[in-house]
Amino acid sequence: MALRSRARSTRLLVVTLVSISLVTITLDYRQGDDGPLATLGEAALTVISPLQEAVSTVTHPIGNFFSTLLRLPSIRRENETLRDRVAVLEQEFATTVADLDRLAELEALLGLQASLGRRAETTAAQVIANGVSNFEWTITIDKGSGDGIAEDMPVIANAGLVGHVVRVGPSSSVIQLIIDPDSFVAGRLDASRATGLVSGEGGADLRMGLVESTVEVAPDEKVVTAGYRIPSGEQSLYPPNVLIGTVSRVLPEESALEPFVTVRPAVDFSTLDLVLVVLSSDGGA
Amino acid sequence: MRRTLLLGAVILTALLLQTTVFAELNLLGAKPELLYLVTIVFAILEGPASGAIAGFAGGMAQDFLLDAPKGITALTLTLLGYTMGMARQYIVTPSPILPVFLVAGGTCAGVVFHGVVSFLLGELDTSWLYLIRVAVLSALYNAILTPLVYPVLRRAAEGSRSRRVHRW
Repeated sequence: MALRSRARSTRLLVVTLVSISLVTITLDYRQGDDGPLATLGEAALTVISPLQEAVSTVTHPIGNFFSTLLRLPSIRRENETLRDRVAVLEQEFATTVADLDRLAELEALLGLQASLGRRAETTAAQVIANGVSNFEWTITIDKGSGDGIAEDMPVIANAGLVGHVVRVGPSSSVIQLIIDPDSFVAGRLDASRATGLVSGEGGADLRMGLVESTVEVAPDEKVVTAGYRIPSGEQSLYPPNVLIGTVSRVLPEESALEPFVTVRPAVDFSTLDLVLVVLSSDGGA
Repeated sequence: MRRTLLLGAVILTALLLQTTVFAELNLLGAKPELLYLVTIVFAILEGPASGAIAGFAGGMAQDFLLDAPKGITALTLTLLGYTMGMARQYIVTPSPILPVFLVAGGTCAGVVFHGVVSFLLGELDTSWLYLIRVAVLSALYNAILTPLVYPVLRRAAEGSRSRRVHRW
C-alpha cells in the first residue's frame, strides 16, 4: 500500500515536472527573446560566467594537456606532413639556387659565343665526368657526334679556354684539358704581343715557353690564344684571343736554357660545369 | 536539506565542468553530456523520483544558459531520470558495469529525444545524421566517464542518506 502510494506520488511528481517543463517551453517559445524567461536566462548567465571564468583559469592548462594528449596522433601526423613539406621546399630552394647559377653561367656562355664572332657556331654542353686516370686531365661532356661534335674542336668556358675534343662518342665526348701534359696551345702575351707554346703541367700551373727570350714579361699579364699552332706552323685549333690565364711567375733569364713563364689557368677545372664547344668559327679552320 | 544542497552542488559542478574543461576535451568533435550522466546516476542510486527531480533541476539550469527555447532539456532529463529510475528497479543483476550500460543507452536516447523535441519546435539546426553522431559519441563519452563519476556520487548520496536514516 505504502509502495503504491509512493509510486503514485512519484508519478504525480514526474507529471508536475513535465508540465512545468512544457509550460516553460511554450512560454519561452511564444515570448521569444524579450520575455521574462529570456531575462532570467541572462541573469543565470551573469551569475555563472564568473564561475566559469574561474574554473577555466584553473583547468585550462589541464584541459589543454588532455586535449593535446587526445590529439597527439593527429599532431604527430601533422608534424610529419610539415617535415615532409620542409624537405620538399628545401630541395626546391636548392634546385632554384642551382638553376640560377646555371642561368648565370649560360648567360655568360652566350656572351662568350657572341664574342667569338657572328659566324661562330657553338653548342653548350654539360660536364658529366672527370678523367678516370691520374695521368690524364680530361673531362667528359654530354654531347657527341650526334650534336655535330668532332675531334679537335676547341672547348671554352665563360672564364676562358678549357681544351679540345680528343674522343667523340655518339652522345658524349672527351675533352683534353689544357693542363694535360700532352696539351700544347699557341699563346700570346696580351701586352707584349710575344708568342709562345703553352703546355700543360698536370696539377701545376701551365708552362709557357717563349720564342723570343728578350721579352720583358710582367707578372699578372694575361695570356690569350694566338691564332696558330706553333711547331708545325699550321692553323691553330683554337680561335684567337680566348683567355688562357695569367702569368703567375717569371723566371730569371739565366735560370734556364729556354726562358719560360708559368701561367695560372683562368678556368677552375675542378668546378667546371657548363662548357661551350666551338663547332666552327670564322677565325679558325 | 543536505540532499538538496548536494544536488545543487553536483549540478553546478557538472555545468561548470561541461562548459569549461570538457568544452576543450573533445572526443571526435563531441562533448560529454555531464548533466545526462548526473541525472542517470542519480536515478540509478536514488530511484525514479530523485532521478526526475535531479533531471528537472539540472535541465532547467542548463536550459537557462542556452539560447534555445528553455525547458526542452528539463523535459528530456525529467523523463530520462524517471525512466532510468524505473528501469533500474526492474533490472536484477549484480553486474558492476550495469551503470555504464544504463548511462550509455540513456544518454543516447536522451540526446535523440532532445533532438526530436527541438525538431518539433523548429529549433533543430543540424542534420539528423549529425544528431545521431553526437548522440552516439556523447553516449560513448559518458560511458567512459561513468566509472569516474559513479563511485563519487554514490559515496556522496550514501553519506547524506545514512545520516538522515540515523536521525530518523
